[in-house]
Amino acid sequence: MIGIGKVLVRIPWHIIFLASILVVVGSLALYSASEGSWVPWAGRHAMRAGAGLAIVITFAFIDFKYIRAIVYPLFLATIIVLILLLFIGTGSGVSRWITVGGFTFQPSEPAKIAVIMVLARYFDEQPAEKFQSILTYVPTLVLVGVPFLLVLKQPDLGTALMLFLGAMAVIFVAGIPWRYVTVAFISGCAAIPLLWMNLHAYQKARVMTFLNPEADMLGTGYQITQSKIALGSGGMFGKGFLLGSQTHLNYLPEKQTDFVFTMIGEEFGLVGNLFILLIYMLIIAAILHISYRVASRFAQLTCVGIAVMLFLYMFVNVAMVTGLLPVVGAPLPLISYGGTAMLTVFAGIGIVTSANVHDRIEQ
Amino acid sequence: MNRAKERDFRRSISRRGAILGVGQLLLTGFLGGRLYQLQVTQNRRYTRLSDKNQFDLRVVAPPRGRIYDNKMRLIAGNAESFQLRMTPMHVKDMAGTLKSLSKIIDLPEPVQASVLEKAKNEPSFRELIVRRNLTQRELARLAIRSAYFPGVSYEKSLRRIYPQGALTCHVTGYVSPISSAEIERDSSLRQMPDLSTGKIGVEYAQEPSLRGMPGYERIEVNARGRPIRVLRDTDPRAGNDLQLSIDIGVQLHASKALRKGRSEVVAFNEKGVQAGLAANPELVAHITSGDDLILRDEKGRLTPPESGAAVVMDIHTGNVVSLVSTPMYDPNIFTEKLLTRDWRRLNNHPRRPLLNRSTSGMYAPGSTFKMVVGLAALEAGIISEKSSFFCKGDMELGNATFHCWRKGGHGRMNITSALEQSCDVYFYEVALKTGIKRIRNMALRLGLGNITGLDIPGEKAGIIPSHEWKLATHGKVWTPGETVVAAIGQGYVLATPLQLAVMTARIANGKFAVNPTIVMHDPDNEPVFEPLDVSESALAIIRKGMFAVTGGQLGTARNYALPKKYGGMAGKTGTVQVKRITKQQREDGITKNIDRPWKERDHALFVAYAPIIKPRYAISVVVEHGGSGSSMAAPIARDIMAKTISELGV
Repeated sequence: MIGIGKVLVRIPWHIIFLASILVVVGSLALYSASEGSWVPWAGRHAMRAGAGLAIVITFAFIDFKYIRAIVYPLFLATIIVLILLLFIGTGSGVSRWITVGGFTFQPSEPAKIAVIMVLARYFDEQPAEKFQSILTYVPTLVLVGVPFLLVLKQPDLGTALMLFLGAMAVIFVAGIPWRYVTVAFISGCAAIPLLWMNLHAYQKARVMTFLNPEADMLGTGYQITQSKIALGSGGMFGKGFLLGSQTHLNYLPEKQTDFVFTMIGEEFGLVGNLFILLIYMLIIAAILHISYRVASRFAQLTCVGIAVMLFLYMFVNVAMVTGLLPVVGAPLPLISYGGTAMLTVFAGIGIVTSANVHDRIEQ
Repeated sequence: MNRAKERDFRRSISRRGAILGVGQLLLTGFLGGRLYQLQVTQNRRYTRLSDKNQFDLRVVAPPRGRIYDNKMRLIAGNAESFQLRMTPMHVKDMAGTLKSLSKIIDLPEPVQASVLEKAKNEPSFRELIVRRNLTQRELARLAIRSAYFPGVSYEKSLRRIYPQGALTCHVTGYVSPISSAEIERDSSLRQMPDLSTGKIGVEYAQEPSLRGMPGYERIEVNARGRPIRVLRDTDPRAGNDLQLSIDIGVQLHASKALRKGRSEVVAFNEKGVQAGLAANPELVAHITSGDDLILRDEKGRLTPPESGAAVVMDIHTGNVVSLVSTPMYDPNIFTEKLLTRDWRRLNNHPRRPLLNRSTSGMYAPGSTFKMVVGLAALEAGIISEKSSFFCKGDMELGNATFHCWRKGGHGRMNITSALEQSCDVYFYEVALKTGIKRIRNMALRLGLGNITGLDIPGEKAGIIPSHEWKLATHGKVWTPGETVVAAIGQGYVLATPLQLAVMTARIANGKFAVNPTIVMHDPDNEPVFEPLDVSESALAIIRKGMFAVTGGQLGTARNYALPKKYGGMAGKTGTVQVKRITKQQREDGITKNIDRPWKERDHALFVAYAPIIKPRYAISVVVEHGGSGSSMAAPIARDIMAKTISELGV
């Protein structure tokens, strides 16, 4: 056990500071989204962020070995919840959310962390010489495949793919030989037509819309088109705080959630957008930096996985609102309104914090 | 597990973590590039799209200037009408809705198709005009069913109306929806697809003044197309009102007198009228194009109203008091999209109601041209008041014989008696001595051969021939025989009824080369005319002859003198033959006009001014195939002149 003073010193305050900047930016954006009001979004967003920070600090005092110990039960619990979700989940035409005591919760978000950690724990237990064998990677198919299929079944293609890519990143970093990486990449490409055939009609429509958004200006292509107009008209420095016409005239859909980045782009321009990307990259770099300092392979892989998860959140959201990816429903954590993704990211930062505090290489 | 291997393993993880980090950095750079592309490179394009989202720019059509007569009676105005509009965004099934609408209001299939076509090309939050000029009945039907038609609304707008109907059609012309040719000429009109523009008549000539300036308003709309607020950038400026010199009272009387001619008005419910109508295709065309006046001629035959023209003008100011051309048409039918049916009826009408005969109809002036010949000869000193020629009924020139209208001849004639009795031979002789060059010169000074410049487009210049003209147009030299024919206003000579009125006005005025105008002058800015520069003594002799036409014992219009209380009238008859009379016919006796087919009857003309002393008004009347100038045109002119003087005084 280490002393409280050492804990406080080892807490990665710079990450917390950077995350707080994103929370402030998010609160301001939500303030603007509701026509200059703290209700309904901005105030709650700030309060949730406060809770998130508390979680991070709490994690700092939890020894990392306890976290390692509960990975398997946690993963099992996640799988059970995801299965239950198929029966009791809510949402229009989908079963993504679960309501507990008035709070709506999206279990597929923390499932991302559960999958990352279960893989990290699995690879942590394998002897180094076994990493060259393909057999070592067979169990991961189950560890990733089961939650992936369960999320896909909700259906939530975006989250499923992010979960899958995060898991792949962990397997890659763990040391899977390059020949398997190549084989996996090729077979992944070959699987695309198969995946396409199994997509739901609305998912296919989204992809088609993504490929040609102008074809149906007021239908499914509407969101992408309006998002691009909002971003593009923002220019270098934006139209000014509270002055985004696309947003305030209701042209921009989902401005408080998935399209919050667009709104910031309209009001603060390229400068505002690049600032957000910069903060994200600094947080990711800081987490990767911690992965170099932590002692256990489990901690290392967990940190890299969480960094990749954060990156995927950011990348998918920004690529989506700029029309580079289909609209899949991906939040921009810490900025967009939505508790689950924010708490997931704070939990991730908390785990990284715990690793940084308790799992150092002792000099 | 040995330590070296573990260290290698750590290094591998770190290296692969770094590879991922670099990959993430590259991907983020890619996002940054994408943002740069959208926000900097394509900024202008998206700014434009964003502005388009925010504001729906609407052009507010200006109220068109009204047109009044000389006593401020409305000739052309604007009436409120209701337009049916549709906002495609709020309509689930455009085609279905249009179809249902067509069951309760008049909405033909081509109109439905054009609305659907327009909807395709416009943003769906923009209103489309589906129908104009909804009737009260249609409005009521729509109102009670409005719940079934989301996205369908009706709105007030202005529509051009001509309360006088056909009466002033050839004066005002008409407005109709803007044509693509007009947009081609003036691209600023593209923004105003609802605008109607003058196509002919005063509406066309005064278009820039009548139209006014459109206003602009920007309607800030949200994504649902719901207006948030309206920003009026520019208020529309109404077009200028216009007062014409036309007097509706005189105009009405003139059109009635001209149309009726010498015939009787027939009542539709009279016995045999319906059957008689059906048997006569000309009458059927006449009735179906909207005219309900049917006449019975002196032989008891059913006949359509006379076609022709009558122009009354002030000889001092040039104000045109009445400008009638018959047949007429209702200009109101053009203000909305003209129905093909109506257009075909007007176009196929054998008497061409769209032709404005008063300014664009060219007629041989016939004997009304004799004043020109007389003035030219008097001024050149070729004849004097006393000079006389003997009319034996014809004149030989080379191996051709030129006949006088009176078979036995007039005997010895001087200028005044020749005008009084319209002796042809006298003017043959005078013209031969005077020559076409002098005659032409006088004709041009009296306003013939050139357009008068009245504010009615499409005016014709007529023809006053010369040696050079003949050579240029026919490639042949002028012959003396043609001078003889020109002397009685036939052959090549052509003039419009308006020009004949101007000629008469200048003879009566004597001092100024008065020009006709139809837009009322500013009282402080009366027009100044060029001096006429024709010898007053010569004019006095001609006027004396013209007075004798109605006042003389043998005057060709002695039966149609203007009563004393109006101050009397000086004039000249003209009867223009439209078909050459063969030698055989002349020997057998010429068939009377009334017994010939309409198309072969002579044109009847009469020009006059009144009162005799201190003249004020000049008139010209042309009745196409009306028979003789004296019996047909003179009484019409007299009636119109009487009405003019009683309405407007002297």
